[in-house]
Amino acid sequence: MTDRAKFIANVTSALGRTEVIAPPRDESTAAFDDVETARAVADRALADAASNAVELTDRMAEAASTIGWKVHRVSNPENAADIVANICDQKGATSVLRSTHDVLDEINVDAAVTSSGAKLGVTEHSGDNNETKITESKSAAFSADIGITGADYAIAETGTIVLHPRSGLSRLVSLAPPTHIAVLRPTEIIDSLDELFAHERNDHMSGNLAGSMNLISGPSKTADIEGTTVTGIHGPLEVHLIILEND
Amino acid sequence: MKPLTTSFRTKAAETMVDEQVLQSLEHVYTGFFKGRLEAAGNTDNWEELRDKGKAIKDHTIAHLDYYLGQLADNVEKNGGSVFFAADAAEARKYVLDLAHARNIKTVIKSKSMVSEEMALAQALIDDGIEAVETDLGEYIIQLSDETPYHLIAPAVHKSRKEVAELLDDNYVEGDPVPDATELTMMAREKLRGVFERADMSVTGVNFAVAESGSITLVTNEGNGRMSTTVPRVHVAVMGMEKIIPSIQDLSTMLRILIRSATGQRISSYVTMVNGPRKSDEEEGPEEFHLVIMDNGRQKLLADEQMRESLNCIRCGACLNACPVYRKVGGHAYGWVYPGPIGAIVTPVLTGLKDAANLPAASSLCGACHDACPVKINMPRMLLELRYRTAEGKTDKDERTSTTRERTVWKAWRIGMMGRKRFDIGARLSRLFLRPMARNGWLKKAPPPISGWTSTRDFPLVSSSSLKARLNKRSKKAKS
Repeated sequence: MTDRAKFIANVTSALGRTEVIAPPRDESTAAFDDVETARAVADRALADAASNAVELTDRMAEAASTIGWKVHRVSNPENAADIVANICDQKGATSVLRSTHDVLDEINVDAAVTSSGAKLGVTEHSGDNNETKITESKSAAFSADIGITGADYAIAETGTIVLHPRSGLSRLVSLAPPTHIAVLRPTEIIDSLDELFAHERNDHMSGNLAGSMNLISGPSKTADIEGTTVTGIHGPLEVHLIILEND
Repeated sequence: MKPLTTSFRTKAAETMVDEQVLQSLEHVYTGFFKGRLEAAGNTDNWEELRDKGKAIKDHTIAHLDYYLGQLADNVEKNGGSVFFAADAAEARKYVLDLAHARNIKTVIKSKSMVSEEMALAQALIDDGIEAVETDLGEYIIQLSDETPYHLIAPAVHKSRKEVAELLDDNYVEGDPVPDATELTMMAREKLRGVFERADMSVTGVNFAVAESGSITLVTNEGNGRMSTTVPRVHVAVMGMEKIIPSIQDLSTMLRILIRSATGQRISSYVTMVNGPRKSDEEEGPEEFHLVIMDNGRQKLLADEQMRESLNCIRCGACLNACPVYRKVGGHAYGWVYPGPIGAIVTPVLTGLKDAANLPAASSLCGACHDACPVKINMPRMLLELRYRTAEGKTDKDERTSTTRERTVWKAWRIGMMGRKRFDIGARLSRLFLRPMARNGWLKKAPPPISGWTSTRDFPLVSSSSLKARLNKRSKKAKS
């Protein structure tokens, strides 16, 4: 008997049964809902994001600032670029990393960063991710001063931005540098964790689940010394959220 | 980890006179307990969420065999490996063998109570591998060679000065003590290099999702993210109960876990890992291993009175709410899990006879039940365990009561069950015990109740019985 068969047989017998039975339908868990149910929630969330953008943006901005994001609401790409340039100046950044999110091109982030005199790197291997490349990009991330990303989703309930690491979006760019800037479009804001996980379940059931997902809600923090909250124990000490609203 | 449950009384007594530790433990109440109350108060459907969380866990545990199989299938489908460990020794061996096979030099550990059951960090170090705890509290505990004091705040009993002695290489007795920010930044500097060179990580699991083979990690510090990003091998270890059926159940479970643990609406980072990195990703572990451990949990599962304890999501709320935990501290409980939930699972997992003092150390006030995000009825289970130590219900070996104790209670029961017997008992006690009392309390009683008065005073029956007084009154009224 394998370790698995033996282990599960023990569990079955502890449950007072002789064989594994499929659980009966139970309304408490979403496990028995079909893919259409998850898709309906996910689709509705996106429709709401488009039609309720103003309300969702207000709630997002408020929730985010309560948990430590420095929130900047801007009405055009130039203002967003100015804010990025200012942060680079303030931090005296010499090395900045960015993801390949479209919104960063829209605000012309490259020009903003280079105008401040910092060196800009893009976290993209273009498919050539051998071990040497990966080691190089890790050490680049650990020595960078600022990491800039877009957001795949944002959650108004909690002030969270959601990132699915992939080609062009490294896991480290929002984690290793001491400052993280996230640029967000109102159409990416969904109402709550319910809609987010409905999306994920929909992706899973249609075979498109990402390799991993990070929910980022403010700076890295700890209260392990005498209960005093301190930011920046392992991840960013300072996080900026730029919300690019339409004119 | 070897249980030291027999030393509960000595450890508890030490803590109760340790002013510094008692002061540190205040934070458990002012920070965590009040934070949870406030967060719950600000959540409109809080009770509904707790009921839903309980229903999800009840369902999962009732079909745990099915969901374990589904989880393992899906982790493998995602490209990960699964190992089922019957006990801590098997789990430890799997991780050690893997580390050697992959020629691992540095392991970063994220906070995990299951890895404490395995005593994993020390085992890796003994095998010549650098193993560093990366949660700040755990790191402090590792530097001072202790075990965690609390489920989510392992170093809550440490003063800033003690932390400075451990973290600050330049600190000399008498120097002004660095503040929390300075100390945290020192830890950041020390741990950054470790993160960068780590080639393997060991993390716990907050929730494993059966339908997708995902694991979820909740951290404020970001060490969970480092662990799932930098090293080439990621090993997640979990107790077999940490499953939920669906990805969509995560919204409920995260809401109740995080509010109950720290009072936050959300932690800084929630990470969901669905296997090793995909081929086009920039970085991330090449290998993902999930170790699912039993280590005695099937005893909890098979025991219908105790099964509910497997619903626990390890938030620590019952510790924060417990007036006993806040006075005796985390180390008194003698094993991995302190507080009310520890007083329930530790006796079953490590042996009730040695741990008989744990379920006894409760006022049964019910604060743990009120605080629990999945409404585990801890007082009921504490009473059940006390019953077993007194009467030895399932197994005579669990009984710790002495013959004398049982005889006294048997006599008490007989005496209380009949009018005549009660009157005789009261008269005897009035006759023999009252002369020994001071101010209505017996401070030192003769056998067979001398055991009682060694730790508390014995109350006395009054000089005349209620019946006698009533009789007297009614006679007066008639005359």
